[in-house]
Amino acid sequence: MASVSPEKTRWMRGPSTPLRGALLGLLLERPGHGGDLANRLAVRLGETWRVDTNDVYRLLEQLEKTGLAASRDEPKRNNNRRTHLVYYPTDETPEALTVWMETLLPREPVRLGLQAKLSVARQQDAPRVLIALKAYERECLVLAQLVSPTEGAARSWTALCMDCTREAVYSQLQVEIDWSTRTRRRINEFLERTQ
Amino acid sequence: MTPLLSFLNVSKRYPDGDREVLVLDRVSLEVDAGVSVGVYGARRSGKSTLLRLAAGIALPDSGTIRFDGRDVAQMAGGERGRLLRGEMAFMCSADWRASPGETVVDHVATSLGSEGLTLREARRRAMRVLDQVELGASGAQEPTTSLSAAESVRVMLARALARDPRLLVLDEPALFPSLRDRDSFYRMLRTAASQRNMALLVASEEMAALQGFKVLVSISDGELVSTEAQGTVVALPGRRRANTEWSGR
Repeated sequence: MASVSPEKTRWMRGPSTPLRGALLGLLLERPGHGGDLANRLAVRLGETWRVDTNDVYRLLEQLEKTGLAASRDEPKRNNNRRTHLVYYPTDETPEALTVWMETLLPREPVRLGLQAKLSVARQQDAPRVLIALKAYERECLVLAQLVSPTEGAARSWTALCMDCTREAVYSQLQVEIDWSTRTRRRINEFLERTQ
Repeated sequence: MTPLLSFLNVSKRYPDGDREVLVLDRVSLEVDAGVSVGVYGARRSGKSTLLRLAAGIALPDSGTIRFDGRDVAQMAGGERGRLLRGEMAFMCSADWRASPGETVVDHVATSLGSEGLTLREARRRAMRVLDQVELGASGAQEPTTSLSAAESVRVMLARALARDPRLLVLDEPALFPSLRDRDSFYRMLRTAASQRNMALLVASEEMAALQGFKVLVSISDGELVSTEAQGTVVALPGRRRANTEWSGR
């Protein structure tokens, strides 16, 4: 990959880069207002991402400030007397998306809330930790239920990419459930040995 | 409403050398008619034991398993066999055995031997279910010995569906060579279950295989955790464990 000037990757700083990048991709597919883009993001990323519409509006404003999106006030389709901001890609959007695709961003840290509890748990907390682990497993299963099933062989490039994002969710949840069950087993085995 | 299948405080132990392993520890589970239940667990987590108990192939050491209100352990062996060949079907992809000289359609048709059908009627019904698993026309006349892994699992599914069971119990059907085969199989399975209002109890080592299931359950060390447990944990704490009873949210 050729070196990219820091100017062109400045928009990638901060915690919401994945969403900003995904919004650029959606804008290039077709323009849309904030609500529309939030819905399209939710469909692409799946319900487990829990896309917040307010975040999407905020990120679109940021993208506009950096020149990667442009907005126009347009009449609403179902109510001509009211308007909303419709976001469009700019001449710089395609290159920004390409650079984002090519840039290896640092992965986000692994931070399970349960890790913090485990890190300081006393032995008398074992029952509470075991309950928390079971609750966590259940949460993972509930999240897995939110993922809509694939329909077999993907019909298009977009469908294939969406299937792969679903697979990512399942894989992550599977690993987390495995970790939780292994932790419960280790705690139970420890308690058996020591009690 | 009476669940189609229910486990109440079911335990099962197996000998392991000079000790016993507690595979299921007072687990409770319900499968309602027409509902799909996916059981996720790692290898040796107790999935197969749970499913063999559900199908009446093994019996619990304690606790009660009921199918449509009937206590499975109280049934005579013959009655359990009839249940497994009628209202319930059990399928494990590792059990696939090709029969030399037998075509796919005959393999499915012969499974209907006890239904009182003529061979012609059985073949017609077999063709119908082979169409549903997308093995009709060309695939039906293939010898069973020539099938790929993905095709053999579909034939097993057709065999199970041919009897129109109320509950299909599937153990590890996800041993597919490609994700495409896996997803196609599960799509067929979901469609067949929904068209027949057939309940599913399916165990897999892959979470992704259980996509679209109404109820998800994880199993480990003899305990179950379920998406259905609102405020009460499905598995009760075992004697050898600390008290892990769920106290609600």
